[in-house]
Amino acid sequence: MAQCPAELDGVFLALADPTRRAVIHRLGRGPASVSDLAGAATMTLPSFMKHVRVLESNGLIHTVKSGRVRTCLLNRERFAVVEDWLARQRRLWDERTDRLEQFVTDPKEENTP
Amino acid sequence: MNPELDPELDLGIDRVIRAPRKVVWDAWTDPDSLARWWIPAPTVCRVDRLEVRPGGGFVTRMSDDGVAFAPHVDACFLVVEEFERLVFTNTVDSRWRPANPEPVAMTAEVVFADHADGTDYRVVVRHGDPAARDLHAELGFADGWGGVTDQLARFVESAR
Repeated sequence: MAQCPAELDGVFLALADPTRRAVIHRLGRGPASVSDLAGAATMTLPSFMKHVRVLESNGLIHTVKSGRVRTCLLNRERFAVVEDWLARQRRLWDERTDRLEQFVTDPKEENTP
Repeated sequence: MNPELDPELDLGIDRVIRAPRKVVWDAWTDPDSLARWWIPAPTVCRVDRLEVRPGGGFVTRMSDDGVAFAPHVDACFLVVEEFERLVFTNTVDSRWRPANPEPVAMTAEVVFADHADGTDYRVVVRHGDPAARDLHAELGFADGWGGVTDQLARFVESAR
């Protein structure tokens, strides 16, 4: 139920930058190489790599190196931690109600101790 | 009985459950039953206190391995009307100590009513203002969390 505040801070820190948000946006369409991503950004490759590392260390993306090409992939599960807090509470109660409903309507449950 | 609901802070659930009202009530108020649905599997739920009376304690703990249990809910019932209504809050803990619960202070009202198909089950959860809400302002997201969520949803959906 509770989000680790440090984890949430890290995710928001990673997202609080237009270059990094642009990378996330691009990766939403599929994996891309660091050089392709860097080409879209107006900065040097070392500067761009810093952004990639921030995204990676906060778990928003992961990277895979194959030969000389480093490919970035979006880590979709990670976005659950930035879900709107009220939406998260709603999902929690919706799912809780699903489980209650299943518990009281499943005939298998009736005779179990 | 208090219909006030702030759409910025509160949530309401309204569901017809195809089981008799007493069965749904029992699923809520019997500790062994509650433990079966309160927390999603495979996390194990242990119900330490479920004193279904006004002022009674409501304490659940959770465990990923079934051995080490972490705090989950430590709350207090405010209103209990048998087979009809349960109200509890985590802003006062099970020992009546004022609490600052994580992630958010809330009062939950659960109402059970008869329905032709079973039980009309309604929940209203009224929240305090969570500290995390202010985070978006610090980080400069002008549209707030909702906007960020929409954007992220679009990013993620666009690739499907």
